[in-house]
Amino acid sequence: MNKIKYLLISFSFFTLHAQAQEADSLLKALDSGGVATTVDAAFKSTHVVLSHSSETQKKHDLDLRIRHHFGDIGGRFGSAHTLYGLDVASDLFIGLDYGVSDRFTVAVGRSKQDELYNFSGKYRLLRQKTNESMPINMTLFGQMGWVAREPLSDSEFAKYSNRFSYFFQSIISRKLSSRLSLQVMPALLMRRAQEDTRDPENLFSVGFAGRMKITKRLSFIADYTVVNGLSRPKNLTQAYYNPLGVGLEIETGGHIFSLNFMNSEYIVENNFIPNTRKSWSKGGVRFGFTISRNFTLFKSKNEDPDKKSKIY
Amino acid sequence: MNSKTKILRLLVALLLLNLSANAQNFLSKNLRIGLFSSTPLEDIRAVSDNGSAALVVKTREIAIQLNVKTLEFDRKLMQEHFNENYIESDKYPYAKFKGVLDQPVDFSKDGDYAVTVTGVLSVHGVDKKRTIPGKVTISNGVVQISTEFKVACVDHDIKIPKLVFTKIAEFITIKAAGKLNPLK
Repeated sequence: MNKIKYLLISFSFFTLHAQAQEADSLLKALDSGGVATTVDAAFKSTHVVLSHSSETQKKHDLDLRIRHHFGDIGGRFGSAHTLYGLDVASDLFIGLDYGVSDRFTVAVGRSKQDELYNFSGKYRLLRQKTNESMPINMTLFGQMGWVAREPLSDSEFAKYSNRFSYFFQSIISRKLSSRLSLQVMPALLMRRAQEDTRDPENLFSVGFAGRMKITKRLSFIADYTVVNGLSRPKNLTQAYYNPLGVGLEIETGGHIFSLNFMNSEYIVENNFIPNTRKSWSKGGVRFGFTISRNFTLFKSKNEDPDKKSKIY
Repeated sequence: MNSKTKILRLLVALLLLNLSANAQNFLSKNLRIGLFSSTPLEDIRAVSDNGSAALVVKTREIAIQLNVKTLEFDRKLMQEHFNENYIESDKYPYAKFKGVLDQPVDFSKDGDYAVTVTGVLSVHGVDKKRTIPGKVTISNGVVQISTEFKVACVDHDIKIPKLVFTKIAEFITIKAAGKLNPLK
């Protein structure tokens, strides 16, 4: 009798135990293959501070971007006489970035400096995956610059083609955690109009960038581009510096604001990579900001009623 | 009948139940799971066909799981904000419901059942005990399930900033439906 009781009790324990486990373990077995999803939003925006990020525009989204670099905070051109640079606009920029697809973005922009127009294409080649089958993001970026201003001397734009410059960059990034993303970007700039004949026409550069989230919508961002000392001789008549920018990025739905400090006077790669003449150590740092607003241009054509969103 | 035979009979019944139930599991890997948020300003919908479900007939246990990153929105920027700012899919990649059917269902015969399932809903890393209504349809050995219920964002610690309070509903409607095939 007792034996049977024990058997019964142990048996019912066994079945109870099996019950609690089974549906869960079945699900686990089912999901073991898993869906390989992409690791999105290594950066909130298509730009970090000065440089581009590996992000591209979403399909059919248009980004209006307004950027401003003020004057030197310190040094000869700064101090209270210019309200720490706020009286001066060393460069202004307005640009539009449009997502042809989720991977391909085209952009046009215009800077105050040199009346520079830029036309660019950005293609997202590789995307980081959650299952590590692809550990990095890789985006290719190409940009043409066209200097539209009057020449400063008769010889400056002797050939019209001297007004053009071409920038090619490969942007490699990895979202290390939901807070931290890092990026490295080797690049080549081809240009004609350089002030010093010893300054090479083709400039190599390597950029580094990072994003550290402070809260969900506020991040610390920074980028640094090494250009001097790579393919460029050190003893040029004009002293050039490597551009370094740091900033705070605030995201509110479709808007992104960033408040930046940088030594570079200029905004577009074709300008700030070769021509940064100010240094962080000599009061050449300046304040700047970016305002970006995203617009969805076309309604998506998907017919799935479960996916349709509607704005009243 | 003495108590000894009673116990023996119970034992045999349990054993039989166990044996017969072993074959009775139903699975799905492509449950359609969607969410719907409605305010006077904006309707937002998203859907995924990658929900998975497991049903154990013996115990009337059912578990449904969704990799939240597979939810697709009309607007990709909205999808990014959903993952980054609200559901935090990097930290909490799965939404899950695990429970037990409150009513008996005969899975061996064709039929329709309105049921409730009591269990735990985990979304955004927060577990909530819930009783969720649903429908179970059995035809030709295939089990069809469907459910619709509401989830309060605040219950799962999902904060909606004041700025978008008028665009995102406090209660999100969740729909799930699909076919579960017998596991062989």
